[in-house]
Amino acid sequence: MMLTKDHIGGLVFLCLSVLYGYYAGSIDMLPGDEFEPFTARTVPYALAILGAVLSVGLLLTAKRSVENRLSLNGYDFALVAKLLLLIVCFGLALEWTGFMLATMLFLIAGFWMLGERRIKMLLLVSVPFAVSIWFILAKLLDIYLAPGQLYMQIFGG
Amino acid sequence: MLDGIFTGLSTAVMPFNLMMVVVGCFAGTFIGMLPGLGPISAVALMIPITYGLDPSSGIILMAGVYYGAVFGGSTSSILINAPGCASTVVTAFDGYPLAQKNQAGKALALAAYSSFSGGTIGALALLFAAPALAKVSLSFQSTDYFALMILGLTAVAAFSGKGQVIKALIMTVFGLMIATVGTDTMSGATRFTFGSLDLIDGISFLLLAMATFALTEVIMTVLKGEHRKEEQQVDMSKLGSMKLSKEEIKEVAPTIARSSVFGFLVGVLPGAGATIASFLAYGLERNLASVKEKLKFGKGSLRGVAAPESANNAASTGSFVPLLTLGIPGSGTTAIMLGALIAYGIQPGPRLFLDNPDVFWSVIISMYFGNLVLLVLNLPLIPYISKLLIIPRPILIPMILFFSITGVYLVSFNTFDIHMMVVITLIALFLKLLEFPMAPMLLGYILGGLMETNLSRALMISDGSLAFLWERPLTLAIISVALIVLIVPPVFDLFRNRKNARGPEAAINEGEG
Repeated sequence: MMLTKDHIGGLVFLCLSVLYGYYAGSIDMLPGDEFEPFTARTVPYALAILGAVLSVGLLLTAKRSVENRLSLNGYDFALVAKLLLLIVCFGLALEWTGFMLATMLFLIAGFWMLGERRIKMLLLVSVPFAVSIWFILAKLLDIYLAPGQLYMQIFGG
Repeated sequence: MLDGIFTGLSTAVMPFNLMMVVVGCFAGTFIGMLPGLGPISAVALMIPITYGLDPSSGIILMAGVYYGAVFGGSTSSILINAPGCASTVVTAFDGYPLAQKNQAGKALALAAYSSFSGGTIGALALLFAAPALAKVSLSFQSTDYFALMILGLTAVAAFSGKGQVIKALIMTVFGLMIATVGTDTMSGATRFTFGSLDLIDGISFLLLAMATFALTEVIMTVLKGEHRKEEQQVDMSKLGSMKLSKEEIKEVAPTIARSSVFGFLVGVLPGAGATIASFLAYGLERNLASVKEKLKFGKGSLRGVAAPESANNAASTGSFVPLLTLGIPGSGTTAIMLGALIAYGIQPGPRLFLDNPDVFWSVIISMYFGNLVLLVLNLPLIPYISKLLIIPRPILIPMILFFSITGVYLVSFNTFDIHMMVVITLIALFLKLLEFPMAPMLLGYILGGLMETNLSRALMISDGSLAFLWERPLTLAIISVALIVLIVPPVFDLFRNRKNARGPEAAINEGEG
């Protein structure tokens, strides 16, 4: 049997609906809720059933043509993985190095990953950009941006 | 009504709000020009900025961005044959051939005039249609609201494209599921938080919108390797004159009038939106053209540019009718605006007209200003704005990523949100590869909470019986429309497939028509 995009999508959502329905059963109920027409579990149960029915519907009506097969050729997954990892690192860097330095590092690394290799360009774009964004936020809009734990440990807070 | 109009006018002409219209139109034009980023992404990127503004200014800014992005999309369609958004794909059919004949200036001017006319006719229609519909909908009860939400959700799914209805419905259910994460507002019970304190308030609208539209769209261009493409240089010397002759104006005037009215009517339908309006208006104009004129379509017909441009702008305006009067968004972009209004504590719907006349009317009036800004300021500046197209993608992409991430971070100051964005982006990328549409998911998420509240009220009143769905005539009528909207497209597809199966020639003829 040929596994197409519709089949994969249908199976994924069928599993999700079953899991969702299973965990809907563990939602806490208030005393006496079992006699009420509507509780915190009503909508989740309805959605789990609806999701499962639609997923089965998708599986039954799935297109079976070759063009509908999931083809992963030509996609740059490695670069996307690196960029998403960079975003995670940016989140961590915000806590440690503070907003301005984290922004500079994020932009330099992002430009580099996407193929910009000219050091002058990397610095000339990222440094003024990060400084001006920091200035607008911290000085003009008066938004408090924590200096970062590393800064606090070195210079004291 | 006059009081409301004056309140709206006085709000819209406040210098700050006028500035918001101008800024919105420029920002929207720039973002809309970038291939891959359309009005939804542009409006999503604006959400964090609007959080610091009052509701009227915030929505005015978003409306400006919406118009600007549609206009920007047309510009890149005409200049480099790379539509910035789906609603301007049709513009490229005749706009790009005109550009190749060194008549890009004429095509751009025509697109701007058509957009302006479409937007103006749309704004005038909105001025009368919205209050009328709002007055009718004041008599709605919770059962009718529940039915309306069902209609909104099914309509978005039904109009999502050929063979996509089940996928769109699944995505709507997925959005409704996401809306149940967090603390239940009625019982106080926590649902699907798995013990995480960060999930107690649920997944924020801003985070979901930015991750699924702004972040995912940009990452998708990287995944497809589009960032490696050489930036297309726009040769300004080949723009040509931006003037239209009297004969040309005479030729396109009826087209603009027809397509504007048609576009507005399509836009009012929940879920139809600007893309469908532009395709239908182009098809309609082609069918109405003489045999000689028909041959010009696809090779640089002025009517082929005017029709979709008038229709998509009129439809963008029309999609505000269900949003402002019923609280049901007409498109993905207005779904984001609905979320923003709810975040402001404003409930769009019939009460908006009475409770927040400043928001209601200022949005309508500023839409008109937005069209004026696009015509008076953006059009003459196109040769300069289009230079932004030459910014290298390796520089532009990390900056857009940065704005998407910090937009969310600066609202919550919680790095958990950044990590959550990455998770949602991964899920959205996977779903996009499987060709699942994202807009129904966001709409499901936005309407989920309201739908649950109205269903709960309706069930409590009817003592747990579902009879409220057919006992009240209005509710029954809305539910019936929802069923028709849901059933008609697949049946229509089925008939078309059978027709096509009869003979390929018939299919080709139909496709050309």
